[in-house]
Amino acid sequence: MYVIALTTLRGYLRDKIAWSVLLVAILFCGVPFTASLSMRQVTELSLTLSLSLVSFVLLVLSVFFGGTSLWKDIERRYTFSVISLPISRSKYLLGKFFGTAAFLTLITLFLIPVALAAVYVASHINPPDRPVLWATVLICIGFDLMKYILLVACAFLFSTVSTSFFLPIFGAILTFFAGSMSQQVFDYIHSDAARALSPTTKLVATFVYYVIPNFSAFNLNLNAVYALPLSLQGVLLTASYFVAGVSLLLALACLLFNRREMN
Amino acid sequence: MAFVLVMAPLSRHLHDRPLFERLGHVPQPEVLKAVSADQAQAVGAAMVMKVMIYFGGLSDETMNRQKTPPDYPAMYRVISGAVKLDPYNMDAYYFAQAVLVWDVRKVDLANDLLDYGMKYRTWDWYLPFFAGFNNAYFLKDYVKAAEYYRSAGELSGSNLYKSLAGRYLQESGRTGLAIVYLSTLVKSEKNEAIRKSYEVRLKAYRVVQIIEQARDLFQVNHGRLPSTIDELIQERFLSAVPVDPYGGRFSLSPKGEVRTSSNFVFGRAKNDERKPE
Repeated sequence: MYVIALTTLRGYLRDKIAWSVLLVAILFCGVPFTASLSMRQVTELSLTLSLSLVSFVLLVLSVFFGGTSLWKDIERRYTFSVISLPISRSKYLLGKFFGTAAFLTLITLFLIPVALAAVYVASHINPPDRPVLWATVLICIGFDLMKYILLVACAFLFSTVSTSFFLPIFGAILTFFAGSMSQQVFDYIHSDAARALSPTTKLVATFVYYVIPNFSAFNLNLNAVYALPLSLQGVLLTASYFVAGVSLLLALACLLFNRREMN
Repeated sequence: MAFVLVMAPLSRHLHDRPLFERLGHVPQPEVLKAVSADQAQAVGAAMVMKVMIYFGGLSDETMNRQKTPPDYPAMYRVISGAVKLDPYNMDAYYFAQAVLVWDVRKVDLANDLLDYGMKYRTWDWYLPFFAGFNNAYFLKDYVKAAEYYRSAGELSGSNLYKSLAGRYLQESGRTGLAIVYLSTLVKSEKNEAIRKSYEVRLKAYRVVQIIEQARDLFQVNHGRLPSTIDELIQERFLSAVPVDPYGGRFSLSPKGEVRTSSNFVFGRAKNDERKPE
């Protein structure tokens, strides 16, 4: 599994698409300039833009590589030669997943100093009213990384049952948007404003809420941008949710991948 | 070659589009929040920036006397949508206060936004400071103003704000209140368009204050109010005809209130004489 993860990671690092996506990092140079257009919150705007860019890069990479990694190997029949080796299908899948997760982690580690440098420059040109909580910013980016690793796990699950890249790619994109808005829908259907909704609709919405990953739980942008205190309980619960969610998705993916017929 | 030929007219066409097209349609904030996923703050910031750039362009036009009526309702819709996406966005509250209150006199709308912002930006003294000013100056609700100023004073640690409402309870103190308010904002304003707008308004209020002081001196000396500005000049209480930076003409009401035909708005200096507010 370790060898497959390492091979996967090396494959990504050789991939030109990954590096071309990283060209987005150049946009960080424009963050202090764009943020200086703000009237009252230059540093806050620089944080907003930097966190948005980091999140955008990770989203593109996780959807693209999470959705195509396993499918591409099956399509090119690399999988057949690998699974003929003395290694289980589960270990192969987990190796691919951890290789992808390691790649996202490496990219995040590269983006962190670039993003922080942009914020540092903006905050020194226009000092903020409230000091930047750098630890909160790092935790926020860390939770972004967790969110996209969870998304990769979803894309891998779709890859195990799909014969084309459509389901993994578009399934991951739809899951991302549904998972980002599920909390809002859940809050709405349990508010007084949704009294007119039928019990069946509420039941279906509640079921969907618990089934799809809740990505909004990982969003700590407001805490990072406006130096709001973090809830330790919330952080620990979300981290636990991440471990449980990824484990469940991978277990399901392994189960389906083991039963898949490969001709 | 064709690209170059098309670019200039296309650019001109886009610049000359009707206002509602330039500002664009903004979907319901709930929909925007749902589809913007984890980019809600960025979308909110982009909306505020769009309005600021739009207003900045119009402000330049207005200074150059090219009268283009700003689409204030559309601007309000965008700003109120932006704070639903990011209730902490100070640019949105600041811009709403700068434009809604002075230019369109939608004080209640601005106060609603400020009250909404105070629920989130609990550390920020600017929001109660703005609300205090709006209540004291425009709505003349001094009890409410005192509450907001007290809150602004506690958050900022400044005794000036704590004493503001008490000091300017009288009608005659309103000009001083406006000068303190505008001076505070001019010092910390970075946005060129907004700062220029504040500077011109501050200049106008300082002229009003000079006329009011001359009027009061005249009353002490003559036991009656002057009937015109010219009378103040003739009696040497004023050295010259006061100049309204908005291009208007100052006058005195029968009650001695200083009025201006511009009403502190560019391009309004006709026969429409109003008391500055």
